[in-house]
Amino acid sequence: MQVYRNLSIKQKQIVWAWAFLALPVIFYVVIRFYPTGNAVLISFQDWNLLGKRTWAGMENYLKLWSDPVFWKVFRNTFAYLIIGTPVSLVISFVIAYHLDKLRFMHGFLRMLYFLPFMTSAVAMAWVWRWFYQPVPIGLFNNFLAAVGIPQIEFLRSTTNALPAILAPAVWAGLGFQVIIFMAGLRAIPKSYYEAARIDGVPWWSVLFEITIPLLKPTIVFIVVFSSIGFLRIFDHVFNMTTGDPGGPLNSTKPLVLMIYNSAFTDFDMGYAAAQTVVLFLILLIVSLLQLRILRDR
Amino acid sequence: MANVTLRSLGKSFGKTEVLKDIDLQIEDGEFVVLVGPSGCGKSTTLRIIAGLEEASTGTVEIAGRVVNNLEPKDRDIAMVFQNYAIYPHMTVRKNIGFGLRTAKKTRAEKTERIEEVARILDMTDLLARKPSQLSGGQRQRVAIGRAMVRDPAVFLFDEPLSNLDAQLRTQMRLEIKKLHQRVESTIIFVTHDQVEAMTMADRIVIMKDGVIQQVGTPSEVYHKPANTFVARFIGAPSMNMLPGTGTDAGIHLKTGLNFTGGPAVASRREVLLGVRPEDLVPDGAAAFVEGKVTVQEPLGHETLIYVDTGAGEVIAKADGRRPPEVGSQVRLSALPENVHVFDAVTGQALT
Repeated sequence: MQVYRNLSIKQKQIVWAWAFLALPVIFYVVIRFYPTGNAVLISFQDWNLLGKRTWAGMENYLKLWSDPVFWKVFRNTFAYLIIGTPVSLVISFVIAYHLDKLRFMHGFLRMLYFLPFMTSAVAMAWVWRWFYQPVPIGLFNNFLAAVGIPQIEFLRSTTNALPAILAPAVWAGLGFQVIIFMAGLRAIPKSYYEAARIDGVPWWSVLFEITIPLLKPTIVFIVVFSSIGFLRIFDHVFNMTTGDPGGPLNSTKPLVLMIYNSAFTDFDMGYAAAQTVVLFLILLIVSLLQLRILRDR
Repeated sequence: MANVTLRSLGKSFGKTEVLKDIDLQIEDGEFVVLVGPSGCGKSTTLRIIAGLEEASTGTVEIAGRVVNNLEPKDRDIAMVFQNYAIYPHMTVRKNIGFGLRTAKKTRAEKTERIEEVARILDMTDLLARKPSQLSGGQRQRVAIGRAMVRDPAVFLFDEPLSNLDAQLRTQMRLEIKKLHQRVESTIIFVTHDQVEAMTMADRIVIMKDGVIQQVGTPSEVYHKPANTFVARFIGAPSMNMLPGTGTDAGIHLKTGLNFTGGPAVASRREVLLGVRPEDLVPDGAAAFVEGKVTVQEPLGHETLIYVDTGAGEVIAKADGRRPPEVGSQVRLSALPENVHVFDAVTGQALT
């Protein structure tokens, strides 16, 4: 006690800060950092979950490099990212931009947009899966049949399956992005718009030269956040393609699903861990690139 | 160059009536200050003139044409906002030039105009900077520059100085006044600070609860306040109000003394006697304030003394070097022409 009493105020604050931080720090080390380190270690080993771990060196990575499925999955993952992020960004901005100007039923509409974000991804995936079924079950195809348009194979097509799975994934994240965009829009002082109105600046100039530049921090956040989400897409794909995980000819399979299959179908832990490390590196590089590109010049 | 006329202007937000029957004639080139406590409707009036709010009733005329249904950009006005409303992601040059976006001018003409404005406001070397690299006063100048660049007929200022510190405010006050003498445009300036109103205005419009209390030159509103609100609002420290009753011999004050020499007041009529601290002089023969000094506030060139009269406190200004001691008894009077008499019920001036 004497030792504590002799500390300066600053030192006492540090002691207390660490006392409170100790629990989360221990938690993070045990639950996060230890498994992460272990995953990197396993990626250099052979392990079937029950047997002995044996050293394999770079074998898992070399196998990955020469695996055509990996490259297909790699392309799919980036397709989710490159289509999903801009599409969800534009849609959520357009919704937020107009919702912000609306007074009538504002709260109710905002709730409607936020609802999918709170809904279970599994339930949602199964409902969308039903939408996509052929006649006489699927909603979309029934509608097409009713107006006399030929059937569309959604989930059983190598070209349509990926967009068909991406659509509900975009929709599910929309509510969150709309809320974030609205908060960003609200933070822009009204007088900026009033000044522009007095100067007679047309609305598109206001949008592209005032609103969007001032929303940049919000946009950076949403881009990074949704990119990570699309790179890690799993539950929508898994639940909409059960029975044939990854769709016809792996056309919808994202990296996380490949990891899941390697680990829990093939029990090739070393191979799965190597994929995890690659995914981690991709996430890291993409996030850093985005932060760098979108940062203030 | 334009005059501005407001005719029986009214504004309601739902059931709340914030402006009632505002009539005001502003001459071409005049510097008019709207002043009043917060919530008096001065900013709303300005925003209606700008076209940012719609009038519920009445008309706004600028340069002889009714502008009620015109967009702000078509009204030939410019506005300077309290928070400056300059865009943080644009350079000073772009900020000033933003107002010229829709002007029918060549690029060279626009550049020339921007530089001319920058020269007038003495900020040519700041053109390449971003607002974050500017001080408060410089930002204020950018906001004024953006308004000036369009060469509007009427400038509207919405409390532009209230975000500045006291010293800078005094300086900007002077700059705006000089600017007005130079550009000779009509200026309508909103503030809650009576000192700003007094120092800058050609004419002051004092408002309270959405109603104009008095319109007049600084000297008029100071020396001939129309009612007790104006009397108290203009001038610091504010005017002393001594309650009293009319008698045949003058006004009998609650303090027990009589004031004579003022206007005739009907017998038994309740009045308020208004007298400014600086008009109260010690030991006049006809003293109507008597009491003990309770507090001294030295200001250097003068000292404010608070006198307890037994029927309320009175503030008087005394000599800065030899003010009456705290605890001493003083007798104060004022020249009859410096004493204002108000009706105690309506607050209207009787003199």
